[in-house]
This record gives sequence, C-alpha cells and structure tokens, in this order.
Amino acid sequence: MITYLVRRVLLMFPTLIGITLVVFVVMASSPGGISAQSLIEGQNLEPAAKKALEDYYNRLYGLDQPAPIQYLRWLNNISPIGFTFDADNRLSGFSFVKGSDLGTSFKFGRPVLDLIAERVPITLLLNLLSIPLIYAAAIGIGVRAARERGGSFDVASGGIMLALWSVPTMLAGILLIGFLASEQHWHWFPTAGLSRREALDMPFLPHWHHARAGIALLGGMIAGGLLLAAAGRWLPRRARVAVMGALGGGLGFTMASALPDGGGAIVQALLILTLGLALAAFANLAGKGVRASGFGLLGILLGAWISRLWGGDEWTSGFLADRLWHLVLPVVCLSYGGFAFLSKLVRTSMLENLLSDFARTARAKGVREHDVLWRHVFRNGLLPLITVSAGLLPALLGGSVIVETIFSIDGMGKLAVEAVKGRDRELVLSLTLISGFLTLIGYLIADLCYAVADPRVSYE
Amino acid sequence: MSAAVTTAAAELAGSRRRGYAARVLRGTFLRLGARVGAVWIGVLIVAAAFAPLLANTHPLLMRVNGELQSPALAYLGTADVVLMCTFLAAAVLLLARRASKASVAALLLTVAGSALLGAALTDPPVLTVYEQYREAERAGEIEWAIRAPIPYSPKDYQRDAGDTGLEAPLAAPDGRTHWFGTDENGADVLSRMIHASRIALGIGLVATGIAMFIGIAVGGLMGWFSGLVDLAGMRLVEIFEAVPTLFLLLTFVAFFGRSLYLMMVIIGLTGWTGYARFVRAEFLRLREQDYVQAAVACGLPLHSILFRHMLPNGVAPILVAASFGIASAILAEAMLSFLGLGLVDDPSWGQMLNQAVKSSTFNWWMAAFPGGAIFLTVFAYNLIGEALRDAIDPYLSQEKAVQ
Repeated sequence: MITYLVRRVLLMFPTLIGITLVVFVVMASSPGGISAQSLIEGQNLEPAAKKALEDYYNRLYGLDQPAPIQYLRWLNNISPIGFTFDADNRLSGFSFVKGSDLGTSFKFGRPVLDLIAERVPITLLLNLLSIPLIYAAAIGIGVRAARERGGSFDVASGGIMLALWSVPTMLAGILLIGFLASEQHWHWFPTAGLSRREALDMPFLPHWHHARAGIALLGGMIAGGLLLAAAGRWLPRRARVAVMGALGGGLGFTMASALPDGGGAIVQALLILTLGLALAAFANLAGKGVRASGFGLLGILLGAWISRLWGGDEWTSGFLADRLWHLVLPVVCLSYGGFAFLSKLVRTSMLENLLSDFARTARAKGVREHDVLWRHVFRNGLLPLITVSAGLLPALLGGSVIVETIFSIDGMGKLAVEAVKGRDRELVLSLTLISGFLTLIGYLIADLCYAVADPRVSYE
Repeated sequence: MSAAVTTAAAELAGSRRRGYAARVLRGTFLRLGARVGAVWIGVLIVAAAFAPLLANTHPLLMRVNGELQSPALAYLGTADVVLMCTFLAAAVLLLARRASKASVAALLLTVAGSALLGAALTDPPVLTVYEQYREAERAGEIEWAIRAPIPYSPKDYQRDAGDTGLEAPLAAPDGRTHWFGTDENGADVLSRMIHASRIALGIGLVATGIAMFIGIAVGGLMGWFSGLVDLAGMRLVEIFEAVPTLFLLLTFVAFFGRSLYLMMVIIGLTGWTGYARFVRAEFLRLREQDYVQAAVACGLPLHSILFRHMLPNGVAPILVAASFGIASAILAEAMLSFLGLGLVDDPSWGQMLNQAVKSSTFNWWMAAFPGGAIFLTVFAYNLIGEALRDAIDPYLSQEKAVQ
C-alpha cells in the first residue's frame, strides 16, 4: 500500500509539470504573449514613464527573457530545492532549503500564496457542501428508478434528470438571482457575496434579545417540522395529496401577494397551480422516508416563518446563519447538474447489478428484497460512482468559475477569470498548479476508495 | 405458407442490406426523445440557413420611385449564399432518400459551387445604414415593401428611435414590435437570437469534429501500438484531463483573442480526451479479433487497417459521445460569451444571457429567451445522444421492463 502511494505521488510530478507547461505554452505563444508591454497596455502614460515602468516590470518578473528560461525559472522558484540567485539575477549556488515561492501577482501586486490561501477555502467550502448533497439525492433517485425500471417514476425521473443536466449553470444562476434574490420579485436571498458586512461583527451563533422570541422560534420550528413530517409519513394517500396540494396552493397565494405589485391574477393563478400540483405530486410519488423528511423540512421553514411573524424580528442572525443564508443559492447552482448526471449513472449501475446472476441467486435463497438491494446490489453498484467521483472535482472547480462570477463570490474560480483577463503569468500558473494538484488528489482518493469498496482490488 | 417465408426472408435480407449504422439510426429515431430533439435542431438549422430572410431590416422587396429593389438580396454575403444553397441541396437529397457517396459528393460540390458563385456575385456594401428604410418610409418614398417577418437586423440598434435599450417584450412605446424585447444596445433580441443560432450550431459541429479527429487519431494510435506510445499518450490525456476544461478554455481565449474560428479550434483542442480514451479501449479490444488479424496478414497498410476496418466497428459508441460532445461545446461557447470572452459584436446566446443581470435590474426576457434557446439546444442533443445509446445497447433502457 505504502509503495503504491509513494509511486502515485511521484507520478504526480511529471503530470503537474505537464499541466503547467501546457498552460505556459498557451500563454507564451499567444500574440503579445506575456510581456511588460501587455501589462501596461491601455494605461495613458508619457513615453519616458512607460519605458521606466516596462523596465521595472522586466527587472521584477524577468519578462524580457526567452520563454523557456522564464518557465524554467518559474519551476525553480516553486520547487523547494533548487538554484539560488543573487541580487543581480545571476546564478549563485544550489540550495536544498531555499523554500518555494509562488511569486507575486502582476495584477494584485501581492504574493500569489496569500491570494490563493484566501480564495481556495471558499471554493472548497462550496464544493464540499455540494458533493454530499449531490450523492445523497442522486443515490436516492437513481436506486428508486432502477428498482422500478420502466415504471412511471423511472421514465419521469429519466426525462427530468436529462433536462436538469442540460440547464446551463449561468441560466439557473441568473434565474435564481432574478426571481429569488432581486427586489423586483422575492427578495428572500442575498444577491452577492458570502456574508453581509454587519455579520462579520456578530457572534457566531444566532441569539435573541428576549427568551420569548427564541423559544417561540424553536418551538414553532419543532412543532411545524414534527406535524408535517408525521402528516407526510402516516396520512393515507388521498388525504396526503389533498392536504399537501392545499398547502402548496396557500403558499403560492402567499408568494404571489408578496410580489411588489401583488402579481396580478394570472401570476397568482399560475403560482397557486404550480406549487399546489408540485407538492401534491411529491406527496403522491415520493417514498416514506423522503416524504417525511421533505415535509418535515417544509414544516420547519413554515414554523420558523410563522413564529417570526408572531415573535417579531428581535434577534441577531449571527455569523453562521448569515453565511448559510448566502450559500443556499450558489450551492444549489453548483450541485444540480452533477446530481442529475450522477442519478442517471446510479440508475444504470444499479440496474446492471439488479439483473445480474448474484442478485437472482440471493433472491432464490430467500434473502429479503431490501437486503438484496442494499447489501448485495448497492455495494457493487457503488464502484462506477467512485470512479466518477474523481472526475466530479474538476467539473465542480470548473463550475465554480461560473457560479462565483454570477454570485460575486471571491473564490478561486473568480480569481481564475481575473487572472487570465489580466494576463497575470504567476497567478495563472499557480492556479493551474493548485487546481491540477487538487484534481490529481481527487483521482488518488477515488482509487483508494475503490480498494476499500471492492475487496478484489488491492494495491499490494 | 411459402409466400410468408419468402417475405420474411426478403425482410431479413433487407435488414441485412441496411447495415449496422442505418439500423442504429432507425432505432434511434423511433424514440420520442430523439424525435423531439431532431425537430428542435431542424428548426434551428432552418433559422440558421435563412437568417437573413427571417430577420432583416433591409426589405425583401420594395418599390421606390417606380422601380423594384431587393436590398435584402443586395446585402447578402458569401456565407449566406453558401448556407442557403447547402441547406436546399441537403433537403433535396434527404427527400430523395439517397444516402450514398454520390450524394455526399453532390453536397460538397454544392458548397464549392455556391462559394464560388457567392464570391463572384455578392458584393454587400461596406457601410450599412439601417435607418434609411424607416426614414424613407416616413418620407413616403417607398410605395410598397415586403419586409422580413422580423424587420430588424441583429446589429440594427435603432438610433433613429432614440433610446431603445432593454425594452420588455411588446412594450415598445412607439408602435415597434419586438416579440422578445430589445437588448442593452437597443437591438431586437429575437433577430439576434436567430442569427446567433448559426454560431451555436457551427461551433457545436466543428468543435466536436476537431475533438473527434484528434481523439480518434491519438486513441487509435495508443490502442494499436500500446506499450510506450500508450504510456506517453495516456500521460497526455491525463494532463489535459487534470486541468479543468473551462480554465484551459479561458486561458486560450484570453490570450489568443476572440474569433469564431479560433474558438471552434480551442473548444475542440480541449475536448478530445474522452474520445481518445474511448477509441483506445475499443481498439485494444478489437486488435485481437480475427478479422483484424486477417487484415494484418493480408499486408494492408496501417491506415487502412485502423480506419477502414477497425474504426467502423467501434464508431457507434463514439457517435453517442459526439452527440453529448456537441451539447457541451455549445455550452462552452455560451459560458465563454457569458464571461465576456466571446465574440465582440456578433450576436451570441451566452452574451445576451450576460445582459440579463448586467444592469442593476433583472431583465427577465434577456434570461428566458436566449437562456431557453441554449437549454433547448443542449437538451435536444442530449436527448438524441441518449436515444442513440439506448439504440446501441437496449439492455438497460427504460422501454423494456423485465417484470
């Protein structure tokens, strides 16, 4: 195992060098390339000042050197072992402890390491929140579709997932912002950023000025959640559909009246119908557990809303609640595509195993269907999911470029856009290095998980 | 009895003669999803081919001072002529149901002929004044005119009507009809969308073609030679896979400037790894088959073995990947345009989508219509891809339930 790990880690180096080389070649071979001229392009300067600035940049970043030298120098700079240079940029020796230096960003004038240390946690936070969501929802839907192959749930979910997968992230993001966050429609969520300015000074957890309000909120949430969860779980089908349909209609009406201009009759009718039908369909189709948790969540939200109407606004939201509130829309945007893709994959891989001989044997010897599904078929169906999870991370990193731009979140994706637009050599190369590294680590973890899930695979 | 046997035998012979590809295609388009997708793409193709006749400020035909003029024809460019002629030729060939080498040759001949014809005959004026027709109409100089269904060109910013930027659909105050509203410069959104369908379709097809070409070449060589070539090739594939595609695209476009053709090449260059993996796996499997060994024993040249004998047997799964690939190429172009790295003045769906939130207000029509067009196109290709996959491998599809 250790040998395997060491070999894999060693193999990462050539790949990482290759990745940065590809990106560097693209930058260096472009018209204009990376030069001092392209950095100060567009600034209105006297010729003398221009010349001085160019010389300054050339001396600072070595931009007047040939491209291969520039790349080798960069490699030398980032590696912890390498050549050292004196003040006049002449080779002065070889050191094993010189430490690695990612350089200084042209555009921001700050060390690249600082910039990345600021931005990477934000992108990772977005992605780490999305991945469990994606997997939980995809496994739930995929397994059910495979079990009821050819049935109405399978066909409907298949079509809906393909459609969801085809929705461009920027369209989803813009629609979510436009309808749920702008003041023209429902101003429920913040439009941009990760937290409000005031929230930075608040305590971490929410707290109340009067105990009454806090107890009311908590009580309302618990009561609403329990009530609706119980209704979703135990009511007979007809009653369930009727109750939830009515609830959806009521919500639709409330939403329409919350619009700045009251919405008008058509919008009102449309909202009442859509929400009523959606909730009724959910109550009709979803399984016991999903129903209970879905309606429980709705009940908690409703309880919180009602108790806030009653208990007033006398509370401080706190840092955590504010951050979570800001994260809702970006995480939704980031996860729906992967979730749609993955649920189709879960269906296929579960189906392959459900139709296999070992599943039939298990059924023939009298194993309960529940155990066949979750103990025999699911374990084997997991394998392709693990393989795909390796590719999910680069896809999410790419997706965060769009999501972070739409929601003005200062993460790595937005930094990448700024870096390439500003032709920032050090920043572009370092970002490539970091995202390539994260991706390769993702592959490695996926391979290790593969060995855990499948005892036939071993890396001895 | 014997008659029935004969018919069955004839049917069998017919289905054999039809070949694998034709059967797969038939199986694909028997499915509802693929049909819906094909209809939408057909609509797009018509819109793309006849864009200058569908949405144009220049009247199609008008009578001024007693003489007939057709400004729309006078302003046609070579590309317009080629697109229309090719579309008509393809439509005729499709209706004649003759899929053969001759018809492909005829199509290519049409493209070349119409390009020559277009280059010789068309001479669009360099300077275009869109306002002249509306002014002439107000002055009463035009006796009658037949206008395009959407009488606005994609770059007609309607300077004569004052500030027309970002008007909601059908909300123009002075009698102008903009079905899908106007964009921030005051141009008609529907007109821009019709003209942008050319870019979307073109990028999807050409970029995927390039990616497939590179992928098949690299993957084929890896699969055939294996060993050292395979090792080096797989490292190359890994390198391209480990950089997030969008990031590589961004770098390419930001450093190389913005042009349609460059964008096609770049999207192709960043998307070939999937095909390469696929073809490699397929060729590693096919290499051991008897017919390939026979081809080797016959002393056929390498390119003949690889691309005439092995590739057709592994092509069906590649077509599935290509169908999904076209969808993602269209998405990639839309994303680049959305990030402000797309084409500068030419209409593009992604760039219009960007304008939905650019000003502080939310302009729903700029999100719903161009975004809806991107969604429908991507969805259409994905539907076709899925139907194709089900047709190739019906074992796991939704239509045949076991219980």
